[in-house]
Amino acid sequence: MMILLGAIIFWLAMWAVNAWLAHRGSSRAIRIIVPIIFGITVVALWEWLVWGWDINPVLLPAPSAIYAAFIGNIPTLWADFLQTFVQGALTGYIIGCGAAFLTAVAIDRSPFLQRGLLPIGNFVAALPIVGIAPIMVMWFGFGWQSKAAVVVIMVYFPMLVNTVQGMKATDPMQRDLMRTYAASYPQRLMKLRLPAAAPFIFNGLKISTTLALIGAIVAEYFGSPIVGMGFRIQTELGRLNLDMVWAEIVVAAIAGTAFYGLVTLLERAATFWHPSQRG
Amino acid sequence: MNKLLTGMVAGAMTFGTAAVAQDDVVIQLKWVTQAQFAGYYVALENGYYEEEGLNVEIKPGGPDIAPAQVIAGGGADVIVDWMPSALAARENGLPLVNIAQPFKSSGMMLTCRADSGITSPEDFPGKTLGVWFFGNEYPFLSWMSQLGISTEGGDDGVTVLKQGFNVDPLLQGQADCVSTMTYNEYWQVIDAGLSPDDLVVFKYEDQGVATLEDGLYVLEDNLSDAAFVDKMVRFVRASMKGWKWAEENPEDAAMIVLEYDATGAQTEEHQTRMMSEIAKLTAGSNGALDEADYQRTVDSLLSEGSDPVITAAPEGAWTHMITDQALN
Repeated sequence: MMILLGAIIFWLAMWAVNAWLAHRGSSRAIRIIVPIIFGITVVALWEWLVWGWDINPVLLPAPSAIYAAFIGNIPTLWADFLQTFVQGALTGYIIGCGAAFLTAVAIDRSPFLQRGLLPIGNFVAALPIVGIAPIMVMWFGFGWQSKAAVVVIMVYFPMLVNTVQGMKATDPMQRDLMRTYAASYPQRLMKLRLPAAAPFIFNGLKISTTLALIGAIVAEYFGSPIVGMGFRIQTELGRLNLDMVWAEIVVAAIAGTAFYGLVTLLERAATFWHPSQRG
Repeated sequence: MNKLLTGMVAGAMTFGTAAVAQDDVVIQLKWVTQAQFAGYYVALENGYYEEEGLNVEIKPGGPDIAPAQVIAGGGADVIVDWMPSALAARENGLPLVNIAQPFKSSGMMLTCRADSGITSPEDFPGKTLGVWFFGNEYPFLSWMSQLGISTEGGDDGVTVLKQGFNVDPLLQGQADCVSTMTYNEYWQVIDAGLSPDDLVVFKYEDQGVATLEDGLYVLEDNLSDAAFVDKMVRFVRASMKGWKWAEENPEDAAMIVLEYDATGAQTEEHQTRMMSEIAKLTAGSNGALDEADYQRTVDSLLSEGSDPVITAAPEGAWTHMITDQALN
């Protein structure tokens, strides 16, 4: 009871601090510090409750134990990261998004393809990963190639739909203007259609970042070499090394957030003209 | 809704035959409903549990269910687990205790294609071997470490694949050997069209590296509760009665298992075959853990070179308290 009371008091105190800070205005420093205080509060409460209630580490390890597992296993985590993120997710992401982009441009050019390819893309997107992954392992082997193949399938459709939508984003006035300039198709594509589609394309790219990571991790559940984030999560779960499972989750969270952030930065640089980027 | 349910249960208690107070027991299996767990289903179907005043719920497992985690979360009173993973869980802070050991022998083996050129364990280096993980990798790892073979690949070591719960890697030639159980995956290889002549089989039992498989485990704290102990005594007694009946009536036992298979995925032929193989593994066990078997398992797990499964000989990881009372 004292444990819970302590937790509640701490929570309310931190809440008060944040509320007080928020009322003092919205300078850059405050905008950064408020979420940090929130994060620290959550982690501190987690540690406190796990320790206070003596929760079995098999159910929920304390943040300090997760941190120790993280620091103590950096070579393993790094090897898993290279295998799953760089080789599996990133390769699949580039191939999948690239293929979807090219398909979208082709679809935009030809109504025939639009009627034929979009339904197929739709069909592929509806395939469940648990059904696809074992088949990919059979086709492409146990290595990262089969994981990349799963990622390709996962990211292809969101990227395709977004890009196709983006290609329609120009209005008739703009297209007419290009026509009066006697612009050729490549000129129209490069100077009008693609820039106009950019916000949509980046939307697809951003959605795909997280899908790629999820796909690469889950695909490892269906057969893998003895390295990789999905392999480690599953194996250490079986061994009840939950601190190691959480350490992998931390890696996945960091990698996924950084990847998303990177694409967002690219978007900002590429579509600086768009209303959504003019803060 | 809750009130309604309570009302219905109360009604059933009043009018039904369940007027005798029954103790609830939840058992979490290690794998899906199949003849590997026939003893428990037989005891349920033949009313052995009811005779002991028990209301038993059998929870099937699956590829991503770790029984140890289920019992830690309070989802089961007793679990079926393999000793290596139970001991590893114990070392990781989950105090599991073996209260009975219906399986005397190990059914685990490595099945290799004859055309891979493997005739003895000395031929393993340079080959690709499929292994189950999720707590099932320990017997393999300790065997390799006793052979002095690295599992990191290379010419002197073996390349290890985490195989799924099927034998495709062997059929597709992606692996030279895969892990199989005498009662399950081996027959999947045979059913897929390979004949026993195409295969070379290494039984862990024959290689002297067998570790104890399906045993019953409970949480240590519960054993100081007399009511719980009494419940387990009755549970183990009824379960062993079920096992011995299953051993003697493999075909009927297989049919009972099929009846309880809610997924409908199992076939009669496969289950009958499995039951007759399982009977070979349970033969020779009356339910009580043989200390020599336990010691062999512990020694094997401790001897594993650089990355031992357990770092110290466990204390209090088993007890005869339950079986002594149950089997009198």
